[in-house]
Amino acid sequence: MRACREMGLCTVAVYSDPDRTALHVRVADEAFCIGTGPASDSYLCIDRLIDVARRSGATYVHPGYGFLAENEDFAQACLDAGLTFIGPSPDAIRRMGSKTGARQVAIAAGVPVVPGTEEPFADTASDDEIAKTAAAIGYPLVVKAVSGGGGKGMRTVAGPGDLLAAVRTARSEAGSAFGDSAVYLERKILKPRHIEIQLMGDAFGTVIPFVERECSIQRRHQKVVEESPSLALDRATRVAMAECAAAVAKTVGYTNAGTIEFLLDEDGRFYFLEMNTRLQVEHPVTELVTGIDLVHWQLRVAMGEPLTIDPAQAVTPRGHAIECRIYAEDPDQGFMPSPGLVRALSVPGGPGVRDDRGVSAGFEIPLFYDSMISKLVVWGADRTEAITRLRRVLDEYRVAGVRTTLPFFRWLVGRPEFVAGAFDTTYLDGLLASRKGQSFVEPSAGDVNDAAVVAAVAAWFRAHQNAAGPAQPADASVWRRAARKDGLR
Amino acid sequence: MRLDVDVAGQTRAFQIDRRPDGRFQITMDGELHEVDVRQTDVGLSLVFADGRSLEAAASPMAGGEWLVQLPHVDVAVVVDGQRHGRRGAGGPSATGAQRVTAPMPGRVVKVLVAVGDEVTHRQGVVVVEAMKMENELGSPKAGRVIEIAVLEGVSVEAGRLLMVIE
Repeated sequence: MRACREMGLCTVAVYSDPDRTALHVRVADEAFCIGTGPASDSYLCIDRLIDVARRSGATYVHPGYGFLAENEDFAQACLDAGLTFIGPSPDAIRRMGSKTGARQVAIAAGVPVVPGTEEPFADTASDDEIAKTAAAIGYPLVVKAVSGGGGKGMRTVAGPGDLLAAVRTARSEAGSAFGDSAVYLERKILKPRHIEIQLMGDAFGTVIPFVERECSIQRRHQKVVEESPSLALDRATRVAMAECAAAVAKTVGYTNAGTIEFLLDEDGRFYFLEMNTRLQVEHPVTELVTGIDLVHWQLRVAMGEPLTIDPAQAVTPRGHAIECRIYAEDPDQGFMPSPGLVRALSVPGGPGVRDDRGVSAGFEIPLFYDSMISKLVVWGADRTEAITRLRRVLDEYRVAGVRTTLPFFRWLVGRPEFVAGAFDTTYLDGLLASRKGQSFVEPSAGDVNDAAVVAAVAAWFRAHQNAAGPAQPADASVWRRAARKDGLR
Repeated sequence: MRLDVDVAGQTRAFQIDRRPDGRFQITMDGELHEVDVRQTDVGLSLVFADGRSLEAAASPMAGGEWLVQLPHVDVAVVVDGQRHGRRGAGGPSATGAQRVTAPMPGRVVKVLVAVGDEVTHRQGVVVVEAMKMENELGSPKAGRVIEIAVLEGVSVEAGRLLMVIE
């Protein structure tokens, strides 16, 4: 919306009932309600979205990065209604949306994929045949059930001696759990890093890849911290990875913003993982190190303009950027969502700080969606400066009224592995499991005293303001004033 | 004004008075503090007699608890023992029965223990689904399950009693 306004375009927001006072509604020129809280009755209703576009006279549709952003039917419905979908063609979404289909595209583009069998083994496959295939793929490897999920029908095999037993148990487990005993083999990448390449394509066949993002700090496969550039890539690998990403995108005639995800193994070899056919949550880190506004370019490409981004600028990082996803979750209770009323927000500022948030003071974080409060991004001349700045802004950031992941991030940025950049996608889950629910930040004796004093004074204010007779406690009106002030910013 | 404040398993006795100049005289467990307190957009700004400045937010939560948010750390505090109408209920070492309540509206997916089971502090006792995520709630203390107040599959509102651990 900021990009639209900068380009002189009017904006139309859609919202569900509980999102009525969300920031995107408040800053839009027009806003339309499209249903109730559950996304299935609002944000996922293609016909209602198209209807709002018709009623408002909108010409472009930006799908954001959740809900229908990677849905080919929605992209097609926009085309059919004469609207311009700000994203790739429905065909490109479809081809890159299926994991096996995307893998075929990558192979066709000559891009390395995680070595594995292309087809599941026939039930009649001989032990000899399985052993030969496994040897060609290389150990360690994983036996995976075609219909598997949740770890069932999956076995890790360290060497040839364990192979046949693992195939047998995976088959029987998958057969009883899913009614389908078909299995295939895939090389196990030990301690991989998750590295991804942002790219942008136009209608004239130009594809510009950008400097990589390092997204290895994940909790249960969800990215928690993203940064750019990655400490794990040298210039040659960066360029090779960017060329591979562009080759995949060109193979499907990709237009607009997209991201190719890779796994990087301990020896520095990388493998195509999948493609996200949309703008991603973590795009600000790329914008900060390249100085290129990706959303601007999304709009310009959708309008039919050719890309005039300097390819060298796109792939050469200037400084270092780190993003933390701040959620309304209680890190000390297993990251349980903690929805509720955001009573006050105090957002850090200063040079090199960017805070992209959809929440303001006075907003009730709904139960229905991902509870992200903000994407806090810092920039520094190098990684050390970025981390120092990140520590400062995490301490300064205040979200009153709900528990957030801020205490967890304050702890994380002090970990030696984080500071050294020595982590992979298994790092955070392993570390969290080893903590067995221990609090991330323990209050000191002084903190406990302070908390007691603050609560006592707050209780005093509540008692005295209620006794004075106003219908609203004065502290609530302070929050409301803060909310208004925030809205005018 | 007299108040009892429970935090980190301890109860502190407070006497709070506002002087005519607006400053507060706060006596905590017999020790007098003079504090200049102002309401701000974040919550409260406190300047102590020795010049130390502290900005903190205190928000009333479900169940009579206050969420006090200091610059680095969040602390749960109960004023005048109002949590679940019971005094001194806090921390793993607390004595007496402890209630496990739903922290938010959701659905009970699984009850992990049975009445009579011995549980350890923070052991998972019930799984509640909310916001499309399954959340395992831990026991507030080591003890024995004396009551289970819900069935698997039922929807619960925030604050609803799920079970009691003694």
